Amino acid sequence: MAYQLYRNTTLGNSLQESLDELIQTQQITPQLALQVLLQFDKAINTALANRVRNRVNFKGSLNTYRFCDNVWTFVLNDVEFREVTDLVKVDKVKIVACDGKKTAFETDVV
Amino acid sequence: MEQNNSLPPFQGLASPQGAMTPGMPIFSPMMPYGSGLTPQPVTNTNSLSLLEEQQRQQQQQQQASAQQAGVPGGLGQTPQLYHSQTVTTTTLPGNTPLYTATPLTPMTPITPATPASESSGIVPQLQNIVSTVNLGCKLDLKTIALRARNAEYNPKRFAAVIMRIREPRTTALIFSSGKMVCTGAKSEEQSRLAARKYARVVQKLGFPAKFLDFKIQNMVGSCDVKFPIRLEGLVLTHQQFSSYEPELFPGLIYRMIKPRIVLLIFVSGKVVLTGAKVRGEIYEAFENIYPILKGFRKTT
Repeated sequence: MAYQLYRNTTLGNSLQESLDELIQTQQITPQLALQVLLQFDKAINTALANRVRNRVNFKGSLNTYRFCDNVWTFVLNDVEFREVTDLVKVDKVKIVACDGKKTAFETDVV
Repeated sequence: MEQNNSLPPFQGLASPQGAMTPGMPIFSPMMPYGSGLTPQPVTNTNSLSLLEEQQRQQQQQQQASAQQAGVPGGLGQTPQLYHSQTVTTTTLPGNTPLYTATPLTPMTPITPATPASESSGIVPQLQNIVSTVNLGCKLDLKTIALRARNAEYNPKRFAAVIMRIREPRTTALIFSSGKMVCTGAKSEEQSRLAARKYARVVQKLGFPAKFLDFKIQNMVGSCDVKFPIRLEGLVLTHQQFSSYEPELFPGLIYRMIKPRIVLLIFVSGKVVLTGAKVRGEIYEAFENIYPILKGFRKTT
């Protein structure tokens, strides 16, 4: 069971909305939509782990932090995201982070 | 602060003989801690503690007037001192009205002191206070970790929520039994204030938190004697109190018996004092060690 962390991203939300539409129009069952999302979880996790190589640095001031259930949640203010090519500044950013190390419950079955 | 310099009647170990930093309270083992100055605490915007501070100030003033009544006739000019000082003194870093809440002993000007002793003129600064308090109710740590800000909870590693606040800059360990440890404050009052802030956070999350048995468990202070010290010499003459293993730790560990304080003494002349339950123990320990350290001053 991969992290369902990425469902609340632009990509994940678009997928969820599309699936909801299909369910509304009775083209797929909710059970199938759930399977699609689970497959999305696996795919996005392996893609980010294996196919992403670029590096972004960010620096800002810490407003709040939380660590519970092995999940870190940070809220930073006045953050600069720096990549080799460009710079993005934001007033507020919320970071939700899960443990990158392989945990016992994760499986490699695709 | 000319009032301070007119306190020669007090012949305590730590009594100032003119060489006192203005505004410093005189701490002598024989003197009630409320003597001399009763500085007003830094005003803060915390409404809860504002109320506390007002109550404490009232207490101080009552005690100051009670002190006057209890003072033997010999200390002529001092009664006025107390009066004016409760009204006019300004905040000093780290001075706490809590200190004046100790029961008053009649002031005996006779404190046996070494004839030639002077106060060191150096006051150790408090660096850390550890205190505990009982919130009086069981707590659900997961709820606290999920809803409070700046909290960490990793039950696999440690069975408490680690919460931090920025003002006063402190860290608290909150246990499911309702007991809490507050560390990092620089004064007794700040430690109490911080503990109250944590208790309010817990209260706002819906737990019936109270503030029972607040107690300061440890106080750490540090200072600099401003001259290098011959630690080898010190460990030779005071071996029943000292332990010095330069290969293990560069500081000499001096375990003073009275007061029961542990001092870390370094070659540079820096001294760390820890193990105190009250501020006076730190000051007393330093006044005790200072003449000894002077005797082991490095001359090269």
